[in-house]
Amino acid sequence: MFIKNVMINLKKYSFLLQQLVSRDFKVKYKRSVLGIVWSLLYPILTMIVMAIVFSNVFKFSTPDVNYLAYLLSGLVMFNYFSEASNLSMSSVVANFGLLNKIYIPKYIFPLSKCLFVGINFLLTLIPLYIVLLATGTGVNWYHIFLPYAYLCLFMFTLGMGFILSAVSVFLRDMFYIYGIIVMMWTYLTPIMYDIKMISEELQPWLKLNPLYHYINFAREIILYGRIPQPFTWTICLLSSVAVLLIGVIVFKKTQDKFIYYV
Amino acid sequence: MIKVDNVSMKFNLGIEKNFSLKLFFINLFKPKSKKPKKEDFWALKDVSFDVKKGEVIGFIGSNGAGKSTLLKVIAGVMKPTKGKVTVNGNICPMIELGAGFDMDLTARENIYLNGAVLGYTKEFIEQKFDEIVEFSELKDFLDVPVRNFSSGMTARLAFSIATVVDPEILIVDEILSVGDISFQKKSEAKMRSMIGGGTTVLFVSHSLNQIEKICDRVVWLNHGQVVKIGPAKEICKEYRESVGL
Repeated sequence: MFIKNVMINLKKYSFLLQQLVSRDFKVKYKRSVLGIVWSLLYPILTMIVMAIVFSNVFKFSTPDVNYLAYLLSGLVMFNYFSEASNLSMSSVVANFGLLNKIYIPKYIFPLSKCLFVGINFLLTLIPLYIVLLATGTGVNWYHIFLPYAYLCLFMFTLGMGFILSAVSVFLRDMFYIYGIIVMMWTYLTPIMYDIKMISEELQPWLKLNPLYHYINFAREIILYGRIPQPFTWTICLLSSVAVLLIGVIVFKKTQDKFIYYV
Repeated sequence: MIKVDNVSMKFNLGIEKNFSLKLFFINLFKPKSKKPKKEDFWALKDVSFDVKKGEVIGFIGSNGAGKSTLLKVIAGVMKPTKGKVTVNGNICPMIELGAGFDMDLTARENIYLNGAVLGYTKEFIEQKFDEIVEFSELKDFLDVPVRNFSSGMTARLAFSIATVVDPEILIVDEILSVGDISFQKKSEAKMRSMIGGGTTVLFVSHSLNQIEKICDRVVWLNHGQVVKIGPAKEICKEYRESVGL
């Protein structure tokens, strides 16, 4: 029943959704000289900076696999999460002017942000594959399973986006708090280091982070050329569906009150 | 066509006070007696009426009587605290012009974006695109970002997009006339033709003359409550007397 309603609603508002996503795209690059090239350049440049800092200054290295490929395969996924969740968080508050005047389903704003950053994410896969080829890491047939990890990442991020956008309506401090949370999250997710570098007692704690599993899933395929363990498949799906579900419930329960906090 | 059944709307005026984390924690430790009392404010109280198809209904009352809140409840922007609103038919809320504009996009892109915000389909916009452009008189500025528009040009574009539909229910908060004098005439004529075109209209105005001229029936609101509902002439006359005009 609920799912059916959502589908009807989505169909009705798909044009609006499409317009919002394309608006974000146009606005993002409209006034820059390089335009969309930035989507490709940006992850490469971040990777280079991080590689210089972590492999030369801190002497991080990953046994058996190329450090650049290791770094970038995790970085593109984490960047998707941090950018999409941040934009989703402010999307409802930023559109209060509209929501106060016309009826539009409110969930459309976090959703459009997650989709917009998602398209951007697909573009960042281009530099990733260039690095994979350039570093000799190569591409294998298991790559066809990668969309599974990316889909889980998307659902998890969308769920977080729903929660954050609803909470930030009632508590504007969330914008600042979340900035700090993401910073902590960046260091607690094994992006620039290997989880095996952490002491044995701490490892299980780091594995409570769903993002670790999505990134791990992708790295198993990209770097080590093997199919992830059944456990990894399960935990990815369960954690992302659970967070998405919680997000939908939180958003649905609170959305009628948004209007009082304009 | 529209059924408003015992609708009440409560606002919490004290809400501003609990806005930040700091205040939230300070309030946690305050003794109960010192806490700011939450003031309940009923913007609407047990409002009921029906609107038939093709009827033009006016809403009158002083500032803060609840007219705009009532229209927002009917348009689905707000959910009533109590009661129920049933609406059959698509609503065109002509309350806000250009709320969905993105200043960085061109006029052409904004026609699509704002149209989508107003609930138009892609086919509809494509079909009506020339009509919108022609009415707004902005043919030469289609590929200019709206940020470079004058406020009059922006208002003209917004008006043209908002009024291109033939809605079943039209919500009008004051008759809008925008732009320079010649466009004002044109926009007012357009509004009047929309109102007179057999659609159901909910119309808020402070001009009693307009209300008398246009409306079949009038709902008189005061402090969120219905004072009287009845034929336009009668109610307007009583309202005039009550405010001492």
